Amino acid sequence: MNKQLSMVIDSSACIDCRACTLACKVENNVPEGKWRNWVKRSEPDFNKPDWMDHRTPLHFQPGGCMHCEVPTCVQACPTGATYKNEKDGAVKVDSKLCIGCGSCIPACPYGARYRHPTRNIVDKCDYCENRRERGELPACVVTCPTKARVFGDINDPKSDAALLLKKNKSVRVINKESDTKPNMYYLSATAPMNWPVKARMPDAIQMWKLAGPLIWGVVGLNALGVLVMLGKQLLMKENAPETDESHEETRQS
Amino acid sequence: MTSTQIHRHTRLSIFMHWFNAGCWIFLLLTGLGLIQNDDLQPFTSWPTMLRSLFGGGANLLLAHEIAGIAWAGGFLLYGIIRLKSDVLPFIREIFTVDIRRDFLWLIAKGIQMTLGYKALSVIADKFGFSPKIPDQGFYNVGQKIFAIPAVFGGMVIAASGIIMILSQTGMASTELVQWAILVHFVTVGLVFAGLLIHIFMASIAAGEQPAFISMFTGSVPEDYARHHHKLWLDEVKKS
Repeated sequence: MNKQLSMVIDSSACIDCRACTLACKVENNVPEGKWRNWVKRSEPDFNKPDWMDHRTPLHFQPGGCMHCEVPTCVQACPTGATYKNEKDGAVKVDSKLCIGCGSCIPACPYGARYRHPTRNIVDKCDYCENRRERGELPACVVTCPTKARVFGDINDPKSDAALLLKKNKSVRVINKESDTKPNMYYLSATAPMNWPVKARMPDAIQMWKLAGPLIWGVVGLNALGVLVMLGKQLLMKENAPETDESHEETRQS
Repeated sequence: MTSTQIHRHTRLSIFMHWFNAGCWIFLLLTGLGLIQNDDLQPFTSWPTMLRSLFGGGANLLLAHEIAGIAWAGGFLLYGIIRLKSDVLPFIREIFTVDIRRDFLWLIAKGIQMTLGYKALSVIADKFGFSPKIPDQGFYNVGQKIFAIPAVFGGMVIAASGIIMILSQTGMASTELVQWAILVHFVTVGLVFAGLLIHIFMASIAAGEQPAFISMFTGSVPEDYARHHHKLWLDEVKKS
């Protein structure tokens, strides 16, 4: 089975220190105002009579690109500049093929992508590819003081991530209208759950899906027409080479 | 057998024609290879093949962009240095249409090409028009009908391509770029559909060999000119 790098997160261990988001920014040179990962927080319900009894009325949820099984961002990219890497299951951006058209940005239900203001391409989490090449874990994972984020290949039964998943119940945060089968698992339960938006294909990409067959149809029809004319020309020549006397066209060649 | 040769194309316009043809073939094939998406690409193995040939999608994109800039730049340069002598007369020629004559030409030529001369005389008899195919100028109206979208389509293709290149410098909004990609694809598709007819008519169709040869030699036999472009020949003879 192919590798599927994933993140298994115990969000109840998250203390919202945001060290992961900072480590990510430093490691990946993420520009000002942009983030490759995040910590979401639940809305405390102060109307609940027992809210004071909980250890904390808030729940923190670390996240980032979920390297989905059904990546709608890949479906939105016209050139394959964003693709699911077959080797490790990570969703990647080929920074030299991407022209920064941004079609993939609204196609992500998690808002995990942004257009880099100076590199003019789309950027997002790549599980710290540079660090992984050196055999190290992603920056957010090693930085986390409570070890809320666990990273590994869930298809390798001996990996920490796979073992955690096997031993515990887990949930995934999805938008029901566009379930992209994310590879980010939260142990037992997590909050908030309702924040992912519906994946939206840009209008131009939707229009392309409609216009594509039409254009191919026109090209095909013309090609067919040319073939018919060619066939007619060849057959006519065979049948009646000399009868068409009134026209020098056929005789000139 | 050997008739007088009439000058039809300058060396530079012959060069531009084959420069255009070469660029089109290269840009069409590489451009098709840049579309890699299950919903948008019917020939799924083409991008894979081409990308391994070029050593990755990034190189393919770069090659396409360099060739595209060379193509557009070449025509821009040509347009500037030959504006008065070639470009404006060409634009005037392709937009000059004699509605009655050219409409009849389209009908008569259409019948002749699909059904043949016999059918043309039968149909002409029945509907009361002359079976003689009307005389045409430097270009026939069929060529003009393709020339107009080819010229303006070329401009749209170049402009949308430039928008995509500007996207890489951060000077175009993402929405504009997304539409530019679609416009680029649609325009290339439509012009290419017409190009198929152009290639057939100019290099395969019976009786058109002198036109094809003239794209190398620059001249056509007088017989050919009289038969295909009589109004133009009359003008050449006058001057």
